[in-house]
Amino acid sequence: MSPRLLALIPLAVGINLALGQFAAATSLPLFLDTVGTVLVACLAGLAPALATGVVSQVVFTTVTGNATWFAFLPVQLAIGAYAALLARFGWFRSTFRSALGGFGLGFVAATLSWPISYLAFGGVTAGGVTVVTTLLTGAGMTLKWAVYGASLSNDLLDKTVTFLLIRAILIALPRRTAARFPAADRALGRA
Amino acid sequence: MTVGFLPGRGPLHRAHPFTPLTLAAAVLILAFAVPAPAGPLLLCCAVLGLALVEGLPQVLKPAVLTALPFWVFLLVIHWLIGRDLRAAVGLGARVTAIILTFLIVLAAVHPGRLVDALVERGVPFAAAYVFAATLQVVPRLRRRAREILEAQRCRGLRVRGSLWGRARAVAPLAVPLVLSALAEVDDRALALEARGAGVVARRTPLDPPTDTTMQRLLRWAMFLVAIGVAVVRLW
Repeated sequence: MSPRLLALIPLAVGINLALGQFAAATSLPLFLDTVGTVLVACLAGLAPALATGVVSQVVFTTVTGNATWFAFLPVQLAIGAYAALLARFGWFRSTFRSALGGFGLGFVAATLSWPISYLAFGGVTAGGVTVVTTLLTGAGMTLKWAVYGASLSNDLLDKTVTFLLIRAILIALPRRTAARFPAADRALGRA
Repeated sequence: MTVGFLPGRGPLHRAHPFTPLTLAAAVLILAFAVPAPAGPLLLCCAVLGLALVEGLPQVLKPAVLTALPFWVFLLVIHWLIGRDLRAAVGLGARVTAIILTFLIVLAAVHPGRLVDALVERGVPFAAAYVFAATLQVVPRLRRRAREILEAQRCRGLRVRGSLWGRARAVAPLAVPLVLSALAEVDDRALALEARGAGVVARRTPLDPPTDTTMQRLLRWAMFLVAIGVAVVRLW
């Protein structure tokens, strides 16, 4: 692994963990915990994105002491792979495509995370998703569909915002930084 | 709540770092394999005893604070709505046992010793570095996120109000944080290059943790018991 990637991955994981503070400050139903992973997918490709996903889940668990985070490792890996694929084909070239790509990612993330949440933890994970699950269950929906509905409602919004943020970041990249990561131009459809 | 290593002289503190990690993996498997609710409850009691034997009562508070939201929602969803108290208690005890075990292991294993143990076993320097560097970067970026939030508020950014207004506030907060982090990449890469990070060679740690035959046997025993119970349950 090149020194540049060695330097990038810890910072991307730090971004994954730090951006949650902004979601909390604005009281929005967002996690923003995959921005760093998607960013690495756009700047450096598939393998570094997968490495960022693995390190993210290990460090989330280590820093918070909440070992249930680790169970969601397959979701982080899928997000890294999906984002790398879309970046490879220049899906960040327009706001509409970015939003559409993020919407698709929300669907993928929810579809992968709900069986983990439902089967391993009885539909309860720390966070706002569980509040929605509780409301849907209380309204008479079966637990299985309530967990999926709650995951879907949160992930569709969160991942769409994540992709739009990444587009804004790629456009705002200083030329010097962009020159170090030629894949950024490809993600924006310029190469 | 942030947790981490706590100095101590208990058996897990003195053990090779792989022994507590194997214990955590074994408890993780057992928490799902043993029949609920009695199995996870017994596991919780055993792990609680381990925390006290290890001299780590400090981990109980973060464990309770982390597990409490799970218990509240499990009781509401499975007991009040689903009328199944056994399921709620079984799932709650499972989550509590896992959380408490990981907190004990995090408190007993010094990250530096773990990195030395990994490097000694031939794990590439890159993997060990990424883990150790990330643990240092996280608090710094969190602090910077707070500073950016305060700075943007001083400039008149509104983080309250309508949903659309709050959504519009996300980009002016997130973009500067990400760009400032990316600006560090070059400096860090140069420093790593100067220290030979790109060289693929096995490194020798200065003071690797000592391992014993007894500990190796104990690790195998924990692993085999956990796998054995899981196989019997699946059978």
